Amino acid sequence: MRTTPPVIAASAAVALALGLTGCAASGGGGDADAVTITLATWRTEDTAMWEEEVIPAFEASHPGIHVEYAPVDTNDYNAAIQSQLEGGTGPDLIMCRPFDVNRQWISKGYFDDLSDLDAISSFDDTALSAWAGDDGAPYCVPVASVLAGFYYNKAIFDELGLEVPTTQQEFIDVLDAIKEDGTYAPLALGSADGWQLAYNMLYQVGPNYWKGEDGRLGLIDGSQKLTDPAFVEGFTVFDSFSDYLPNGFESISYEDMTQMFTLGKAAILPDGSWQISQVDSTGLDVGVFGAPPASAGDTRYQQEMADMAIGLNADSAQKDAATAFLEWLGTPEFQQLYVNKLPGFFSMGTEPVTYDDPLAQEFAGLKEGAELTSRLALDRLSAGQPPLDDEIWRVAQLMYNTGMSPEDATAELQAGLDSWYVPAQ
Amino acid sequence: MIRTAARYRLLALFVLPALIVYTAFAVYPLLSSVVLSFFDSDTGSNVFVGLDNYVFLFTDQWQSERFWNALGNSLEFFLIHLLVELPIGLLMAALLTSARIRRSVGVYRTMLFIPATLSVVIVGFIWRLIINPLWGLVEFPLLGNELTALPTISLMSVWQWLGIPMVFLYTALLAIPNDVVEAARIDGANGWQVFWRIKFPLIAPQFGLIVVLTYIWTFNGFDIVYALNGSAPGPNYSTDILGTFFYRTFFGSSGQVANLDLGATVASVIFFIILVTTAAYFWVLQRRLKTYEL
Repeated sequence: MRTTPPVIAASAAVALALGLTGCAASGGGGDADAVTITLATWRTEDTAMWEEEVIPAFEASHPGIHVEYAPVDTNDYNAAIQSQLEGGTGPDLIMCRPFDVNRQWISKGYFDDLSDLDAISSFDDTALSAWAGDDGAPYCVPVASVLAGFYYNKAIFDELGLEVPTTQQEFIDVLDAIKEDGTYAPLALGSADGWQLAYNMLYQVGPNYWKGEDGRLGLIDGSQKLTDPAFVEGFTVFDSFSDYLPNGFESISYEDMTQMFTLGKAAILPDGSWQISQVDSTGLDVGVFGAPPASAGDTRYQQEMADMAIGLNADSAQKDAATAFLEWLGTPEFQQLYVNKLPGFFSMGTEPVTYDDPLAQEFAGLKEGAELTSRLALDRLSAGQPPLDDEIWRVAQLMYNTGMSPEDATAELQAGLDSWYVPAQ
Repeated sequence: MIRTAARYRLLALFVLPALIVYTAFAVYPLLSSVVLSFFDSDTGSNVFVGLDNYVFLFTDQWQSERFWNALGNSLEFFLIHLLVELPIGLLMAALLTSARIRRSVGVYRTMLFIPATLSVVIVGFIWRLIINPLWGLVEFPLLGNELTALPTISLMSVWQWLGIPMVFLYTALLAIPNDVVEAARIDGANGWQVFWRIKFPLIAPQFGLIVVLTYIWTFNGFDIVYALNGSAPGPNYSTDILGTFFYRTFFGSSGQVANLDLGATVASVIFFIILVTTAAYFWVLQRRLKTYEL
């Protein structure tokens, strides 16, 4: 018995040493000459597509570079990337959020200036502006924009004898008809996720009343206020949809909404083009229409949001390989592949692209005959405390949940904005 | 113990490894976090600003509103645990030691403790599905209503952690020797009197301890609210507790950039709130509770 402790100690030490060497060996794996770069995005849903289609296409034309796709759930993305970059363990390629969030990241020095890349010349200034710094230089290569629309179940529309609405009154009539029939919920819309109410409802129906870019730029340069009649009308129209919400909508989240629609329980789903693959997943016959204008013959406004771009981590150890990837993003080869493998995202390049998916083609068709506008509060109006976009999420929820009036809502939002925002002249 | 210098050196040597690990991973981060709260790095370089961050947190128009809201919500979160989890835990422990159930004591004990072993994300998601108006059993949108969202999440957390005070008080009750209870019964005490006059006073110190531990755990609470509602939780911030408020301030969220100094301030404030109350409890109350050696 007196000799066993040393034996036990010795064997424990050997086991520990073996374990440590095992750890060290597994860290270094792979070819000796292949470079691995990491790409971080918030699109966990697209992992299969990236790993099976897009990345192999890149690696085929760029031997020696291996790309690792490392998505983070979209709700955690900003916080996760920021803490990684602050801690020095950030990925080589970072997907960029548009406008204010990106400008804050640029001012913190997270990205490298990309003015010298050839890829930049494949995009026009409007596309690049969403990811430009205060100095006007481009910091991210645009990848895709998204559109917002109203998906509708064609079978339900046929069953109830409904037509796609072309004015706001027709839209309300359609919703009334579905509600009266009682079998289906008119709108697959819940208020548990405030961003849904803002991005896919308010920022879709509202621009028809505040005249799209005129209203948005008016807020930015201070010539207009949220309490102006045009904006209050936009909020009022947003509020008018609250009569058609399903029971218990306060607890219905974004995923629940999509499921409601794809299971055929609801007729219309306000959502973005990024959901096309989810919406198609149960084999429903789905169409899409844009938010109709107030009266026939008025200009129709369509929300198009510059959504994704990819930038270069200023502290990356593999800048050459990462830059090669960024250059590839500017080629028609990537753009054609990406928008067709991931339907619902629209290329922002100057070269025209064709869409194989019929629903994506229908969505792209919404841009014709309409004035395009970005989401209202993401450019400059969300750079301070309280950020206008976050406040709109909260207030939109209050409008639906507690019946807050559009006048009170817009007054509160304008007060919050006035507390810090100095209009850019 | 022979008090020689050699003995003391030996003691120090035995304690040293644990002390090093504890200092490196608990004491040093805590102190550096408190130190960080006295600086401001908005302009790029660290500037010593003293208590300015604290004043900002308590009085700024937008931040202080969120802070006081989070503090109130944390208090509500704690009170629901105190008023629901502890009495039920005590009741379960009393029933298990009441000698009424003999064969199934182990089964019930295990069943009551299993939720505490589940992942908090699973608990949150399953309960959320159960109370979902679309797919679940409840029509009323519990999580979407400002008034009921926080109590609902608190009750989910109570359901999950019930086993902990139950096991704690169960072991305390087990330590009470049978002859005291028998003597009480011979004197004519009924079950109610036996419990409240004999057993409960004997476990009062442990009960006080579990109250304080519940206080510490709920004020440090974060995971269930974050798992269900993300970092800007609840309809109109009604489920935002101090833990999620800290997370949003320190790490940022979709609309907010990370503010490390203000986040450190929030963390220090949470720490002081817990420290002061716990110290007050131990100083004032715990000393007055009689511990009986049986």
